[in-house]
Amino acid sequence: MEDENLKTFLIPNDLCKSAGIAGTWMSGNKIGVFPYHNINHSSKDAPSQYTKNVPSSVFHVKHEVVLFHPILRRLVTESMGIFLNLQTVVENKPSDYKQHLQQFSVQYRSVIRASLENLRDEVLRATGEERETLQNFITIFYSVECIWHLCEILYIENIPGHVVIKHLLEWVRFHFPKYERKAAFLLSGESIGSLESRQDYWETVIGCLLQGRVEVVRALLSCHSAANSTHFKLADQILKSMPTYGVYEGVSVQEFNLRWKHWLVDTQSKIDSKLFISEKNLHLMMRLIVGEEMAWSEVQSQCEAWYELLAAWLFYTEPTVKSFELGAFAKRCISRMGTRMHHLDRVLLAAMEGDVQIIKEIQHMTENGWFVTHLMDLLYHCEQLEKWQTDKEDSLKLRHSFVFEYGNTLAGHKSLWQLGLNYLDHCFPDGLAAIELLLPRVPINDESKAHRVIQEAQKRGLSHIAHSVAKIEGLKSLRNDRMGNALVWALRSQDSNFASFLADKFLKKYVDTGILPNVDLLSYLGSCMMASDRLIFLGKYYQFNKLHKDKSYREAAKALVSLIASKFTPKFFWSTLLSEALTLLECDELLLSSNDVFNLLNAVEERLDCLCELDELEPLIRLGIARNLSRALTYEAQYT
Amino acid sequence: MGRNIHCTYISEKINKIRWRPNPFNDPKQFVTGSWDNDENHIRLWEVKGFEEDTDINPFEINVLPFDGDVTELKCVNPDYLIATSNEGKVYLIKIATNITEEICLSHEIVWDDAHQGMPCTSFAVYDKDIATVGEDGRINLLSIMNKAPTRVIDDADSCTVNCVEFLKFNELITGNSRGQMKIWDLRADEEKASQIFMLSGDSIVAATCLAQHPTQRHLTAAGDEHGSITLWDLRQNTYPLNVMTSHTESVTEVQFHPDRPEHIFSCGQAGDVFHWSGIKQGACEESAWYTSTTNKYDIFMLMPQLHTTINSIDLNRDRLLCGSDNEAMYMIEGVNIYS
Amino acid sequence: MFEAAEINAEHKDLIHDVAYDFYGNRMATCSSDQYVKVWDQIGNEKWTLTSSWKAHSGSVWKVTWAHPEFGQVLATCSFDRTAAVWEEIIGETPGPGERGTRHWVRRTNLVDSRTSVTDVKFGPKCLGLQLATCSADGIIRIYEAPDVMNLSQWTLQHEITCKLSCSCLSWNPSLTNNHPQMIAVGSDDNTAQTGKVFIFEYSENSRRWMKIETIITIMEPVHDISFAPNLGRSYHILAVATKDVKIINLTPIKDNSSIQSGLTKLDVQTVAQFTDHTCTVWRASWNVTGTVLATSGDDGCVRMFKMNYINSWKPVTVLKGDGAVIPNDAHRGSIASSTGVLTPPITQTASYNDSGSMVRNGVNYTLKPTNCPQHIPPRLFKRIRQSFNSI
Repeated sequence: MEDENLKTFLIPNDLCKSAGIAGTWMSGNKIGVFPYHNINHSSKDAPSQYTKNVPSSVFHVKHEVVLFHPILRRLVTESMGIFLNLQTVVENKPSDYKQHLQQFSVQYRSVIRASLENLRDEVLRATGEERETLQNFITIFYSVECIWHLCEILYIENIPGHVVIKHLLEWVRFHFPKYERKAAFLLSGESIGSLESRQDYWETVIGCLLQGRVEVVRALLSCHSAANSTHFKLADQILKSMPTYGVYEGVSVQEFNLRWKHWLVDTQSKIDSKLFISEKNLHLMMRLIVGEEMAWSEVQSQCEAWYELLAAWLFYTEPTVKSFELGAFAKRCISRMGTRMHHLDRVLLAAMEGDVQIIKEIQHMTENGWFVTHLMDLLYHCEQLEKWQTDKEDSLKLRHSFVFEYGNTLAGHKSLWQLGLNYLDHCFPDGLAAIELLLPRVPINDESKAHRVIQEAQKRGLSHIAHSVAKIEGLKSLRNDRMGNALVWALRSQDSNFASFLADKFLKKYVDTGILPNVDLLSYLGSCMMASDRLIFLGKYYQFNKLHKDKSYREAAKALVSLIASKFTPKFFWSTLLSEALTLLECDELLLSSNDVFNLLNAVEERLDCLCELDELEPLIRLGIARNLSRALTYEAQYT
Repeated sequence: MGRNIHCTYISEKINKIRWRPNPFNDPKQFVTGSWDNDENHIRLWEVKGFEEDTDINPFEINVLPFDGDVTELKCVNPDYLIATSNEGKVYLIKIATNITEEICLSHEIVWDDAHQGMPCTSFAVYDKDIATVGEDGRINLLSIMNKAPTRVIDDADSCTVNCVEFLKFNELITGNSRGQMKIWDLRADEEKASQIFMLSGDSIVAATCLAQHPTQRHLTAAGDEHGSITLWDLRQNTYPLNVMTSHTESVTEVQFHPDRPEHIFSCGQAGDVFHWSGIKQGACEESAWYTSTTNKYDIFMLMPQLHTTINSIDLNRDRLLCGSDNEAMYMIEGVNIYS
Repeated sequence: MFEAAEINAEHKDLIHDVAYDFYGNRMATCSSDQYVKVWDQIGNEKWTLTSSWKAHSGSVWKVTWAHPEFGQVLATCSFDRTAAVWEEIIGETPGPGERGTRHWVRRTNLVDSRTSVTDVKFGPKCLGLQLATCSADGIIRIYEAPDVMNLSQWTLQHEITCKLSCSCLSWNPSLTNNHPQMIAVGSDDNTAQTGKVFIFEYSENSRRWMKIETIITIMEPVHDISFAPNLGRSYHILAVATKDVKIINLTPIKDNSSIQSGLTKLDVQTVAQFTDHTCTVWRASWNVTGTVLATSGDDGCVRMFKMNYINSWKPVTVLKGDGAVIPNDAHRGSIASSTGVLTPPITQTASYNDSGSMVRNGVNYTLKPTNCPQHIPPRLFKRIRQSFNSI
């Protein structure tokens, strides 16, 4: 029932073993696991049998992500830039976008290369467990690099006529640079004595021959002390005249084959005439280049891997092999060498066979999806992925699922969350939905981070998240007794309820202490006060309060009238407002017109219920109103 | 243009990057401060290879673990730097050479409770004086000579103060999350700003950063969360001299070139770095930035736009350092300020 | 590989529930010892107990966090027939510069149930502050705090009778623009031969909660039920912990009768059924994005299931309690894999021959030169080329 990929992990705890466990998801890839045994409402509520086993612990279990290792972070951050540039190019679809894709592939590879170089430097410094970890990373990423390079040749690079042998040789040289290095050393002239007396001379010559480095071979041969002898000259002649297929050389495949066959016959006849027999290595080389089975059996042990042999063998026997024909040849090489297939071998074979299996194999690489995500994205855009799927829709889904998974992994990281969002942006529509869930959960420790989260939300049109974050920041400010700041957040959150709640707090504080807090903010509310009725009242009240304080009674009176007319006065604030009105009513100078006073009286009548708590105020107000009214009426009668 | 941009990945998001001044020579060392990481650090780097035209590789000289995010980092002089954290602490850090000739960073003074445990957002330095601001609305005046604060203005601001600069030794300017700019006269006993003016009308636009003209200190540039950089002549602050609006998202830092202040540099959340040249069409250097007509300056994008926020820049001569959230620092050589 | 950090929960009896706040930075635990404890993550993976109080006079079954927009708020339910809402407040600051002490106060005690309250859940935040409880006597209650800034006033809005003893409930978290409010309730009754999962929907027309579906395919007692966070899908995913793990898709169908009645008609499909636990399943929990389901069963395992790109569910990982304590430092034990880790493939060491810088994205990226002696210095290449030319 359980398939082989299902892994079981053990939690080292006695209580967890005896009672059983349960788990609750936290954020990201973390789960909280605790000892659990179901007891329900129908059993008796008594201490359980497990009380003796206390203490019980909660275990926070998380998936270890190697990509989060500091040394691999560069791979993660740098490749994101490439990924995003790639998406931009694909969206714009310029005519040469296939070429772009190949460039992107090279860029990815160079990031892997840079990481590997980094790793190699670090591994020299590391000790113990860390060293082992780094070694392990090196192993993983060498495989990644090797596979990527092959996939680039087979699927991404646009090779005319699919004649891949040159590229295959390059690939092999890249990953098995031993012979080339040796040749360079030998040719540098730094070695002492004649070259052929060196033990590795012929090994190097043949090694270079296998990698198709015909020119290097000729250079090495020319350094041989017998270079001027007939058979050496003849061999050089043969190598020089060996036709190689190049697309841009204006030769068709048929024409090339003709020339090649001709050369082959010619060379074979020279071999048959035993012209090289005096120098057995030279003889071997000549037999190799004409593809003599026996000769190849002699040298195949010089190849470290089957694909090294494959490239060499094809170069001399099937120089115009097409990329899609590689699978069968690869199998022959594998059986020829009797290779025990490791994971890398399986992936490479699958790649050559053009088999969908490659996706599964790559998925099982232990680097948390960096490789599969970026390569599959690239292959999808190269329209390669759909060849492995039943339809195009599925290939899109497959690509999305990798990008989604990878984005999710990053989004759950404390520091890399923004990168995660950038990936999720590119798997519509699930990606945006996931962002809606993940973005508001980014832990916020300070306002600068809050602003980052808000801008990420607004960039994606998720204003409800921006508002929610602002509201939460407002609540935090309130908890820290920073009411002014809370109000600014409330305004950002566009939560008028919250703004009103805070406005009330300001007013209540004034009722309690006689001091209006945060005047530096209130004096600059401006149009922001429109956020809520109560805030408008607060803003207007502040203006009135200030005028009153500055003894600008006439303007204060005007402000008061509009305040009262606004009908926004909160219940608890009436008595405060009216007692301040009283000072204006009783002012020596007549400040309120009869109309104003009528309005005031009306308001008082309407809100009588609010005044009953303060019995002594009501008659005073009524008296004030009456006196002011009489003065106003007299004045108005005289002057109008 | 791309030829002289050097990039180094350091595996942590860089919030601040600053040259370490060198009194005798062009500086070769700089410091970075990280943020939003499980563990943050202040790192001292040295650049090799300026002389040859080969690759430039900064390598790390020393590292100091840091509690919380580094919110601001500045060198007071070649031997001291100051760093602030989002846990509300202010650190005076010494750069010293120990007996084995290694350069080390070490804490000299820690002002633990500068901001009551709330994040310290920024600080300004004037000679030996430091002014710190934070989310608690407090302004601290500290001296690197003394652990005891020189002066504390509690409740200086109702809102979070995001940025601060010294206008004179006794005058400060601050910008807050509401978008209010305030000028503080430090001689006055009153714990109130002597002037308040708005960055951008009465809508809520937080000021994010401030910069001071190195010689004409009344000339101030303020960046805001919507990407504008506003230039003020504080002798007449009713109208800004200029509003420069090329950043598409929040401006993270703005800086006048220390020797050629007719050039302004800025970076932003959208991953862009701009060079604003105020001497267009042969206008004289002194008058740069004063004329309020539009298009009086040239704008150069110094680097292809990154996909992540550029949090910090620092200039020395024609070398610009950038630190970004993509965990990379960039050095741009040959910034065109001389032609 | 997995790694684990251990936190001693300090409860005097079994823990019944662990809940994490919205950010995963705070943890609440509840236990048969009648206590609720709150833990805060300070720094990286360091958890400290910040509050502990006796919350009920019976076993506390469940604990759950409200959305942070409502403040720091918890709800609990208990064997003692009550549910309670708790808010953390900061006491009056004792002196300048010091931050006040924090403690949890009971904002309300919901005493309407006459039997054990078996589950409590806050509604989706777009509905304001709503709370649903269910109890052993089969009644579901929906409470609401009309003023979200005042948590001491709750009104009982709805009482829905379910006839069977209820063990668990789950709100549909889908944003409500397209979907009416929906609740799924599970029953652990083991006598009646009927379906044990009920879906209720709030009808705007009648202003009542109506039962719109009984999932008759599930006749066994249900112990936990959970809607998956919706990733913008047109259907809802419901996980049910019963004698096995069931994953059910609920797809609203728009037809004449549903339009007329104003009630959603659901197409119910069991899309996955896992008997991996081999016996009773007690709990089901979705990760934040609803892509991985973790279930807990009588086999002492937590099992994780995941959906692949062609929408089929697969088991992915198993966690199991094991007595053997791996000697390690006290708070960090690494977890051994019992089936072994995939061995990374072995490959030959390889090296690039090209060195120097590459231009990408218009920026000059400097490749660090290696210290390896294998590199061919450029001048050697020149030599080789010269020897070629001489041929």
